Amino acid sequence: MAAIIEIKNITKEFKVLNRREGLKGSLKDLFSRNYKTVRAVDSVSMSIEQGEIVGYLGPNGAGKSTTIKMMTGVLEPTSGEILVNGCVPYKNRTKNAQNIGVVFGQRSQLWWALPLIESFKLLKDIYQIPDADYEGMLQLYRSLVDIEPLLHKPVRQMSLGQRTLSDILAAFLHNPKIVFLDEPTIGLDVSMKAKIRTLIHALNKEKKTTVILTTHDMGDVDALCRRIVIIDHGKMLYDNDIEHLKSFFGSYRTLKVRADGELAKQTEAIQKEFPEFSVSADEEEEWISVLVDEEKQKVLDVLAQLQKTHRIRDMQLEEISTEEVIKKIYEEGVR
Amino acid sequence: MKAKRYLALTRAGIIEEMQFRASFLIMVVGNLLYLIVVYFLWKAIYASAGTDVVSGMTFNDTMIYLVLATALFNFLDLYTVWQIGRDIQTGKIVLDLLKPMEYRKYLFWSYSGSFVTHFFLTFVPTFIVVAVVTHGAIPLGINILYFMISVVMAISINYSIDFFVGTICLYTESIWGINIMKQVIVLLLSGATIPIAFFPEPLKSIVYYLPFQSIYNAPLSLLLDSSPSAEKVLTTLGMQLFWCVAMLIISKVFWKASLRQITVNGG
Amino acid sequence: MKRKGLRFYLHIYRKILAQDIKSKMSYRADFIISTLGMIFTNISGFVGFWILFRNFPSINGWTYHEMLFLYGFSLVSITPVQCLFDNNWSLRQQVYSGDFIKYCFRPINLFFYYQSEVFDIKGLGQLAFGIGTIAYSWSRIGLAFTPLVLLKLIVFLITASLIMIALQNAAAATCFWIQNSFYVLDLAFRFKDYAKYPVTIFSTVFRFIFTFIVPIAFIAYYPSLVILRPDEIPLLSWLSPFIGIAFFFVSYKIWMRGATRYSGTGS
Repeated sequence: MAAIIEIKNITKEFKVLNRREGLKGSLKDLFSRNYKTVRAVDSVSMSIEQGEIVGYLGPNGAGKSTTIKMMTGVLEPTSGEILVNGCVPYKNRTKNAQNIGVVFGQRSQLWWALPLIESFKLLKDIYQIPDADYEGMLQLYRSLVDIEPLLHKPVRQMSLGQRTLSDILAAFLHNPKIVFLDEPTIGLDVSMKAKIRTLIHALNKEKKTTVILTTHDMGDVDALCRRIVIIDHGKMLYDNDIEHLKSFFGSYRTLKVRADGELAKQTEAIQKEFPEFSVSADEEEEWISVLVDEEKQKVLDVLAQLQKTHRIRDMQLEEISTEEVIKKIYEEGVR
Repeated sequence: MKAKRYLALTRAGIIEEMQFRASFLIMVVGNLLYLIVVYFLWKAIYASAGTDVVSGMTFNDTMIYLVLATALFNFLDLYTVWQIGRDIQTGKIVLDLLKPMEYRKYLFWSYSGSFVTHFFLTFVPTFIVVAVVTHGAIPLGINILYFMISVVMAISINYSIDFFVGTICLYTESIWGINIMKQVIVLLLSGATIPIAFFPEPLKSIVYYLPFQSIYNAPLSLLLDSSPSAEKVLTTLGMQLFWCVAMLIISKVFWKASLRQITVNGG
Repeated sequence: MKRKGLRFYLHIYRKILAQDIKSKMSYRADFIISTLGMIFTNISGFVGFWILFRNFPSINGWTYHEMLFLYGFSLVSITPVQCLFDNNWSLRQQVYSGDFIKYCFRPINLFFYYQSEVFDIKGLGQLAFGIGTIAYSWSRIGLAFTPLVLLKLIVFLITASLIMIALQNAAAATCFWIQNSFYVLDLAFRFKDYAKYPVTIFSTVFRFIFTFIVPIAFIAYYPSLVILRPDEIPLLSWLSPFIGIAFFFVSYKIWMRGATRYSGTGS
């Protein structure tokens, strides 16, 4: 099967204005300005197939959104090749737009003052969706989520969760081949997150839509993605199965404890006891975190051992976060 | 220290203004264009009138008046109404009300940076150019002092009017409508676009008793008169002082009353 | 996929317009105040005009009623920019906040999609004012009224309106390059006020500038000649429809170029 998105060595550079500080600096800026070049995306290549859900991860400012803007045809790459659905996006923006759907951050693309159903009707005309397909899609939506209460509500009166849900539905309405979802669950509560994940999963199954998902939430990734691409400082760090990544980070757990005694001293003592694991202190919340590699020692053993030497008031067990995974990959490379 | 706090706001305002190099240039170009149009228009008017003096003003008088009125306008008009309206609509006003200074003062001092920059970057250069080009058509004497006093009161009256109009935004979302009404009324009735000397009776007398002419007409008529009679100085400044105080009280009372009503009703 | 022709766009525009008006009507107070603001603007413009020209039987060979005709013509020809392209005023904020990106993902013309979002109904008040002024001056001058003249008037009004649209598009598009483009837009908007004077009052240099560089003379003066002075119509008057179209096209290209260059803030 041919790739639906084919990216070869794309790079994007921006010119950024250096502003000088203070009253004197701003006077100087009045007469001369200096720019520096920032490379937001640095020779990234990937190939994505129809029907995949790809988790596109990386810390803030890593270049995720820039890549997506290039795939959607909003930005022209400085160099490299990019083919989406067989055409070059920035050269055929409107043609490309017919085949993609986008939910970008928390910015609603719906008409603010209109009830959702009116937005849908406008989208039907704009994307020239045949009546039968449109009805079929609404039917599908009804079977997946309870949209009736949303349909007649103006977008501006919706809660963030309802708005995100509406935006996702709107993005899938014209049955695009690819949907880009940028942080779709940010700021939502647990039940809304689950609802949105189920919806995305079902739509992908039903319509074989390719989904590119950027997120900071490992929960989104676990629930939806089979494949993961990680980018940092514009460079690609990882592109492989989630299983592979799991084998890499799956054995890690973060054990957080609150122990009696001075935070710094306790942290130091624990680090001495477990020299193999990295121990850090969160001064604000007074947590001491131990990143435990379970292949070496089980978390519960670590906890049991700690309880013998320290008075533990409180404890928490956490999965390793995206940020920590990226940090690990950065530090140790990919096995 | 109190003064220091206010001056910090002034300084921040100046820096912010400087960031917009292009807008300065454009403002200057815009004014030049406006004045060119005005120049040719009045030239045509005077040429067609067939006399040198119309309504007691020569072509030179009219031009000097209009050039300086434009320069004054540039540093007086700071889109305060928009700012208040936006603060109210975005809810930022709630934070501003919690600040340890009165909102009215806070906003004024935030704008003071713009006052200072605009005064030195638009009014002073314009004044110098006009003074040089017209070879002393602008008298340089005690009138400058009267003018300075008058301008300070004009700033205050203008701000009070703006603040009063801005307060209306507590009741309606239509900032544009409110602002445009204020702007056209002030511009016309203050003599900023057409010197009040040209107004026909009885419009002239009515306008004279309104607060608007204190903003442009009053300071400019003091500036352009080389030897004003004591009576003229006193009545002009007295009238300004009256409006200064009156508008201050009116705008303050209106703001307080509106705020109370809004908080009672839960806005 | 069907080709997206004029019919497609007209259909979409009608739908969006209907929805927009429906939702605007739910803000009745805002609508009323904005309309009042518009009426105020026109009345004060008219009063200013009247104060200025009431003393003089003619200016530069133009009678009072002929001047009034120009004034009315300019009011009508700047209505489309007010009604149909009002969203240009928010372009700056949308680009600055990054919200503009949402317009880039639809499979229709970006410029069209952006402008279609807002229709400013209150501009229709200005249209009525302008038509009234044209009709009044028409009857006072005693011009002939035939279907052919009416057709000419309509064609020239529509093409003249393209000039102001072009100016505003180009001015709004500067926000893709410079930070505080409000001043540019404001400057361009002020040009509409200069359009109501006959270009003959200017010196040769400025006549050239206002004809070929910032072509405001085509907003009212040149097209009006076709109606007002049917015996001595200069070539430029006949060219005015083409100049309107050409300038609109260029401004459209600039706007689109800026939008494509636009990269969105943040990451």
